[in-house]
Amino acid sequence: MTAAIAVEGLERSFDDVLAVQGIDLEVGEGEIYGFLGPNGAGKTTTVRMLTTLLLPTGGRATVAGHDVVGAARSVRASIGVALQEAALDPLMTGRELIRLQATLQGLPGAEGKRRADDLLERVDLVAAADRRVGTYSGGMQRRLDLAAALVHEPRVLFLDEPTTGLDPVSRKTIWEEVRALNDEGTTVFLTTQYLEEADQLADNVGIIDSGRIVAEGTPASLKADLGHPHIRLQLEEGSIAEAEEICARIGSLLPPVDGKTVLVEVEKGAADIPRVVRALDEAGIAVGSLELVHPTLDDVFVAKTGYHLEQEGEESDGDEEAVRA
Amino acid sequence: MSGLATNLRVVRALGMRSIRQTFRRPQLMAPIVVFPTILLAIQTGGAGGAVNLPGFPPVQSFLQFMLAGAMMQSLMLAGNSGGIALAVDIEMGFTDRLFAAPISRYTIVLGRLAGTAALGLLSALWFLAIGLVFGAEIESGVPGALLAIALVTATAMAVGGLGAAIALRSGSASVVQGLFPLVLVVLFLSSAFFPVDLMIEPARTIAEYNPLSFVVEGVREPIISGIDASDTAAALLAIAGIVVLGLILSARALRHRLRVG
Amino acid sequence: MEATVAIPAWRANLATIGALMSRAKNELLRVPGAAIPGVLAPTIFFLGLNGVFGALTQLQGFETGTYESFIVPISMLQGAGFTGAAAGVNLARDIEQGWLDRLLVSPAPRWVLLAGTVLSASARSLIPASFVLAIALVLGAGWPGIDGLLVTYLMVAAMAAVAACWGSMLALHFKSQSAAPLMQAGMMALILTTTAYAPLALLQGWLQDIARINPVTQVVEAARQGFVGEVTWAETWPGVIALAGLLAVLGALALREMRRTAA
Repeated sequence: MTAAIAVEGLERSFDDVLAVQGIDLEVGEGEIYGFLGPNGAGKTTTVRMLTTLLLPTGGRATVAGHDVVGAARSVRASIGVALQEAALDPLMTGRELIRLQATLQGLPGAEGKRRADDLLERVDLVAAADRRVGTYSGGMQRRLDLAAALVHEPRVLFLDEPTTGLDPVSRKTIWEEVRALNDEGTTVFLTTQYLEEADQLADNVGIIDSGRIVAEGTPASLKADLGHPHIRLQLEEGSIAEAEEICARIGSLLPPVDGKTVLVEVEKGAADIPRVVRALDEAGIAVGSLELVHPTLDDVFVAKTGYHLEQEGEESDGDEEAVRA
Repeated sequence: MSGLATNLRVVRALGMRSIRQTFRRPQLMAPIVVFPTILLAIQTGGAGGAVNLPGFPPVQSFLQFMLAGAMMQSLMLAGNSGGIALAVDIEMGFTDRLFAAPISRYTIVLGRLAGTAALGLLSALWFLAIGLVFGAEIESGVPGALLAIALVTATAMAVGGLGAAIALRSGSASVVQGLFPLVLVVLFLSSAFFPVDLMIEPARTIAEYNPLSFVVEGVREPIISGIDASDTAAALLAIAGIVVLGLILSARALRHRLRVG
Repeated sequence: MEATVAIPAWRANLATIGALMSRAKNELLRVPGAAIPGVLAPTIFFLGLNGVFGALTQLQGFETGTYESFIVPISMLQGAGFTGAAAGVNLARDIEQGWLDRLLVSPAPRWVLLAGTVLSASARSLIPASFVLAIALVLGAGWPGIDGLLVTYLMVAAMAAVAACWGSMLALHFKSQSAAPLMQAGMMALILTTTAYAPLALLQGWLQDIARINPVTQVVEAARQGFVGEVTWAETWPGVIALAGLLAVLGALALREMRRTAA
């Protein structure tokens, strides 16, 4: 079975900047692939190349069996796309937009009408269907964008940061929809800067940083590769620096997320806790709280790139990437 | 209310800023000079035969006649663009800072006008140069040229004052921008592009009473014949009239803006 | 899982062009006052030019008694130029807002996407043209006859298409609405460096030379026929050829830019 998406040495440079530096990946049919990375990593550039909006400056890629350069039209007929900036016209109604998309995809009028009705119901936009898109909330616009991308029942669906900027409820709705689509057999390639999203949705995750894939695998295997849990400490009294020094002797320190927490990776997991507590106690440092945390994708990210994707309690804004076709 | 010295300093500072802004982005400046130049070329070539019409004032060439009109067009565009710049300042909140300072409110308008005046000066020089290059002499020589330049610069400021008043009243750049067609209409209905006596009614009557016509004649006479005291006086009176109108409208707009916030 | 329902390509293309034109009309119908600038500009020019330069008809060599009749086709063509350039500005806005991506990612051929913009500009140009014509007729311009009217409207619609190709080319190249003045100025210069103001013999030096070689002069003469005299095929076909040539060149350039958006 041919891969739904196959990428080999894909490269894209803008003037002197190499935004995507030779990436290889493969996405099987019916898979959900999560492309995870911070702003400016090259996610959107990659998606634009795979959806034929941008020509690669090196390497090759095939989507649904067609070469993105040589058989671009065939690629376009097989894919559905929902880009980061929802490409909507504020003066059109939701229904008009989906019907326009149907026409663009070559569906006859009656068929387009029928599918529009079905899709509007599916994404729960029936009530707003005949209102102008300019009146829709952010969540409604994303749902509409998703519905439009599905009108021709594409084999491969590309979602570029589908939930950035959405509230948690809207985010969950989109996730459910993506899972439902995948259950029906659609291959999904989604980019995201949210660890939880990649963890929850993706069968396979590719971590991209500065234009390169630095890690790839299922969420479980990536975390298992790291193997070791870490201890998360907050001090009640005493110097952080000293605590770090002591912990470093027992396990390996991880980069801090803020100035009040110490993170130390420990081989033996729970068994190492008493050692840490005793050592700190002997140094007169009082521990406020202590947690044993098993590896997350953030840890994988840190291990591969040296920094955290998300700061504690903060989430990145959906800033546009610096490179835009 | 602070002293004269402070106000003058502020006007100077805002004036420098206004001038810097104008010349920092040539692509915005270009239409103000380029469009009228293109139109000048086309109208001279297209309607140039008019010099043979009975009743046409004695001129060396149609170009010589049209230079004044081209300068007027430029300065109207400059005044319009000055109004837009002030409206943008208002939209961005820059003027709020100035309003909160202990300076006279008029310094804001006067400072903005410096940029407009600079553009007016530039366009006067530009079109006089074009005239010289393409063989249209200035009949009254250097004094005439200086008079024309002075009148154009003064009118630019006067028109800029009107633009500023509209900006202050509306607080919106797109409103000021939208009035640009009106600017064109007012100019068409003057002696800018053709002798008033040869115009067709009702445009002719409107042009006879249009204050801009007096300004145009004041700029044109030195170029096509000689400096005429009464023409110059009429032009200055018309400019003064526009300035007064601009001051009144600005004052009311300022009061309105400070009430409304 | 690809769509199993398929229609012949030509029907799909036609439907797409129709849908894009349908979207374009929203600009006029759903935005209050949007039609006004496009109608106002050529009307103001018409009234202004007529009032200011009307006396030119006294000169020997003018083929008509009223300047209104002479310049109304110019104002109509100017309206077409303005409408076409505005279509270019709209395309630039669509590019800036990401809408064009939606069209580019679909399997619709690039020429179909361009045709949507160009044809809707042609259709729209009939509005300011009719408005100016109505005013001119009221003010005393001669009725051009049905044949003259048809020829004029044809020239106007085709000129709008030319302007839309020009505007689209610039929009796709610069990907920004700031190219708008260039779109407008280019068309203005093209239309006015012809026998717009006066017959060829009365044009001065350099303008006469340019008007002689400017293909739009043929368009102007063809559009003007009914207003100044008889409509003949001999006067019409040069205008048709000129428009066909301009469309071919500018259309090709615009299409090339459309194809190069991925570069």
